[in-house]
Amino acid sequence: MNNFLAAFSMVFAPDVLIAMFASAIYGLIIGALPGLTATMATALLVPVTFYLSPIAAIATIIASSAMAIFSGDIPGCLMRIPGTPASAAYTDEAYRMTLKGQAETALGICLWFSALGGIVGTIALVLIAPALAEIALSFSTFEYFWLAILGLMCATLVARSSPVKALAAMLIGLLVSCIGIENPAGTPRFTFGLTDLLGGIDVIAALVGVFALAEVMRALTQKEPPEIPERKLGSILKGQIELTKKYPKQQIRGNIVGTLIGALPGAGADMAAWVSYSLSKRFSKEPEKFGTGHPEGLVEAGASNNAALAGGWIPALLFGIPGDTITAIAIGVLYMKGLNPGPTLFTEKASSMYALYLVFIIANIIMIPLGIMLIRVSKYVLKAPRSLIMPIIMVFCAVGAFGAAGNNLFAVLVVAAFGILGYVMEENGYPVAAMVLGIVMGTMVEQNFVTSLIKSDGSILPFLSRPIAAFLAFFTFLALFWPLIAWMKRYRAALSPA
Amino acid sequence: MKLSDRITGVVLALLGIAAFYGGSRLPPVPGQQVGPNVFPMVVGAGLLVVGLLIAFRIGRSFEDAAEAEIEKFGGPDHEAETYARKRRWYAFLPPALMVFYYLTSERIGFIPIATIMIAVLAFALGANRRLILPVAIVGAIVIQVMFVKLLRVPLPPGLVPMPW
Repeated sequence: MNNFLAAFSMVFAPDVLIAMFASAIYGLIIGALPGLTATMATALLVPVTFYLSPIAAIATIIASSAMAIFSGDIPGCLMRIPGTPASAAYTDEAYRMTLKGQAETALGICLWFSALGGIVGTIALVLIAPALAEIALSFSTFEYFWLAILGLMCATLVARSSPVKALAAMLIGLLVSCIGIENPAGTPRFTFGLTDLLGGIDVIAALVGVFALAEVMRALTQKEPPEIPERKLGSILKGQIELTKKYPKQQIRGNIVGTLIGALPGAGADMAAWVSYSLSKRFSKEPEKFGTGHPEGLVEAGASNNAALAGGWIPALLFGIPGDTITAIAIGVLYMKGLNPGPTLFTEKASSMYALYLVFIIANIIMIPLGIMLIRVSKYVLKAPRSLIMPIIMVFCAVGAFGAAGNNLFAVLVVAAFGILGYVMEENGYPVAAMVLGIVMGTMVEQNFVTSLIKSDGSILPFLSRPIAAFLAFFTFLALFWPLIAWMKRYRAALSPA
Repeated sequence: MKLSDRITGVVLALLGIAAFYGGSRLPPVPGQQVGPNVFPMVVGAGLLVVGLLIAFRIGRSFEDAAEAEIEKFGGPDHEAETYARKRRWYAFLPPALMVFYYLTSERIGFIPIATIMIAVLAFALGANRRLILPVAIVGAIVIQVMFVKLLRVPLPPGLVPMPW
């Protein structure tokens, strides 16, 4: 109880509330502008979090990402252009509703069920994380090694691309993490004699390159989105309670699927929305209405992508394994603020954890009034010309990475290099999320691998003889060979006459 | 910048060989079987294998399936594709401007360099010409004040030190 009271006083400090409010508005605007994603919003926030208290820093990330995932739905509804990839799955459906003259209902669904999804996801985080922490306390390096590998394998499995390419992307990330002297022996690796590389690649600079600069690069090859047509909007929240009562099963399914996908390493809100939308269609009583402006799929997928955000924090807080690209960035901030991820976080820093839960709940509640405000002014926000916003973002990339890397100018070159890498990879079907996971987790994988091998005197046996390790190993190999099994099944089905 | 799978696969395989070779030349830690060389070698070998798999287009069917699913949700936009192909080299302008910043900002100063960067990119994106210069100057100054005054990031003053 004391912890809970302490958490309250942490969250309701003026600096935290101001930081949350400001970052919520920032997140809403970034999310609403097509081409600017929730991950980009988070990456560009990191230099600012340096100067905030730990709770305020985490609160800015949570608030801005939750808002951005919701507000990405707005241009989807009004212009058929998803504001963030997490809205892409149901953009068509939402736009059809707008064409039918139900723009306010579509926007209301996105807002209302986003907030509900976010709250349910948070409850899942509150219930699951401490229980898992209990188990995780008994983990040794063997279990952590398999857990990290399993996490990396999941990232290759869930990619909406070829699993071979996802594997390649992940290996590139692992190779990047080898650079520098941050290895068990402290030997300089792949530094090519450059002192700037001795400390390794700055993760924040790399992520800013991959998620922000690459997006600016992409904008140069895409036409400016068309002007948004004038439209009168009625009451936003009208009818949402009826819809909540009408589709209870869809919501529960969306929330559960969203939380689970969020918790899977490498898969985040966008994946959750795709899966939930297609599940909704498959189990619907009226699947023929999907794609014509039917609210059912919107309810399920809109709840799912916001639930995924909270789910992503489960492995991030427990093991330091990012559940999605946003938590991949957040983990760096956690370390910086002395909230090192791990099961002991829940016992030693319990008040901070409670504070984090509170921030999630508050963020999802203030989303409703702030979201309505943004919808009302969206006409003006969406008029902001991309051709003037992208150049400003680019300068932010340079200055932000410079500041985040401890005022090191070399970070600007890292941003440029990873911008190119991220852009070329994305264009050719290599999922960048898998690479990011490799970069973030490389050191952890290697350290646990080498420490385990030293402990076991070079023997592989202890990797498989401890029960939890064996269990994790089994799933790792299943994940590794799953694409092969899936391919063989499909091959057989193609051979046998239908 | 679309490349064929053959090219990207071969590049990855070569990168794998280089990583394996580079890793194998790292000095071992005396008295230990596993040193800093093991991990890069494992990763290098992995890259070689997946690089070859990609070059031989293995796993491609999964990508085709994903593309087919996206097509159901709207279909490919040929006009947008032609536009993207025509402007593919423009995409490398932002990283080039970052290198420009790296080379010049210390000597010339943040505000003039940031102004040039914003103006060039805004022009390339086809912004309203009358707005480019004012936005570039105001943008550079606002970012400078934000980072130097609020966040205390020492951006180089260069030739045009600000009065604040």
